[in-house]
Amino acid sequence: MAEYSCLIVEDSPMMRQLLVFALSRVKSLRVTEADDGVDALRKLASARYDIIVTDINMPIMDGLKLVKRVRSDPLHKDTPIVIITTEGSQADRQRALQLGANAYITKPIQAPQVIATVKELLKIQ
Amino acid sequence: MASDPHDRSVKDDEPGRDLRSERDEVLQRFTRGSRFAQEFLQDYESLEQRLRTLEGENAALRSTIEADHAVRDLLRKIETLEVEKAELISRFKSAEESRSSVSSRMTEIELEFANLANLFVASSQLSSSLSPRAVARRIKEILAQLVGAEAYAMYLANSDGTELVPIASEGVPGEKLAPVRIRDSLLGEVFTSGEARVNEDSNPSQGSPEHPAAVLPLELDERNVGVIAIFATLSQKARFSTVDFELFRLLGRQAAVALVAASLFMRAEHKLPGLEAFLDLSV
Repeated sequence: MAEYSCLIVEDSPMMRQLLVFALSRVKSLRVTEADDGVDALRKLASARYDIIVTDINMPIMDGLKLVKRVRSDPLHKDTPIVIITTEGSQADRQRALQLGANAYITKPIQAPQVIATVKELLKIQ
Repeated sequence: MASDPHDRSVKDDEPGRDLRSERDEVLQRFTRGSRFAQEFLQDYESLEQRLRTLEGENAALRSTIEADHAVRDLLRKIETLEVEKAELISRFKSAEESRSSVSSRMTEIELEFANLANLFVASSQLSSSLSPRAVARRIKEILAQLVGAEAYAMYLANSDGTELVPIASEGVPGEKLAPVRIRDSLLGEVFTSGEARVNEDSNPSQGSPEHPAAVLPLELDERNVGVIAIFATLSQKARFSTVDFELFRLLGRQAAVALVAASLFMRAEHKLPGLEAFLDLSV
């Protein structure tokens, strides 16, 4: 079975734990956590990931900046990115999609929705 | 003298009268025979022709019968195939039903797992925070990220039990965050009765400080020490789900405990109690 790797970028430990719980249900997926955009870039510099799931609102480096940086990096420019937003932040969502994010999930997040979105982007049955 | 039987021919070439009639008779017979033969040949030919016709008809009939047999065979085969088809369709339907039932069960299990994950994460986050500020932050995160609350506040009762004082909030205008009298208020009613009030008749995103979507009592050691009021949810949250009610119960039982425990731990300047505190647990 092919193995995929996923980088979760989320500053809230609770949400991070929840995302890890949800995505650990996908058998062929290995999950790595990052606290914010800077931590994520550090991890992206040392390893390749098949998909990135990131929150938008984070301290130090937010999700929008992260999407922009990832898309300008030749090594990760094609890596699918899922952003997590709140319903009210439509402008952020539009901006993230314009910058190259592939999909978005609206809070409050539901594990089945996260799993389905990630599976769809990775084309996992 | 003996007479020569051949003498007559020698004497006379003309046939005798008897011979002539005999010849004529033979000729007649021959003619008749020839006619018969001709008739026979004609009959024979006609019979042969008839035979050919009949053989042709016979062949046609035989091929028709064979075709009939083939059609019957085909019909029998079609019948058998129809039966097999019906059986396959019924097996396919039953397999489809099983698949659909398994699939819906899987969806239910996934949802249940997601709900349990939410409860586990909320509980572990609450109990792993060791400062009142961190606990309050976790409570707010649970309300905002898991329940989908947009405007909410947490109140604790004052020492004489007359007012509920807001200690943490989000999305509530400052002027709406005054202490609430326990007597004659919805929040006070929930505090006194210990029973949560959830407005299930209307859209919780349309709630307000005057008409909260949900008010939950906070318990500590079988006493009510405060309430959490969810005034309104995010616009996409049109109603509370089963897991939200579970989260309400969890918050009611664990939020105040976590707050008080963290507060005592801070007051003890993060010093762990000595071993002697655990020696007489009688377990």
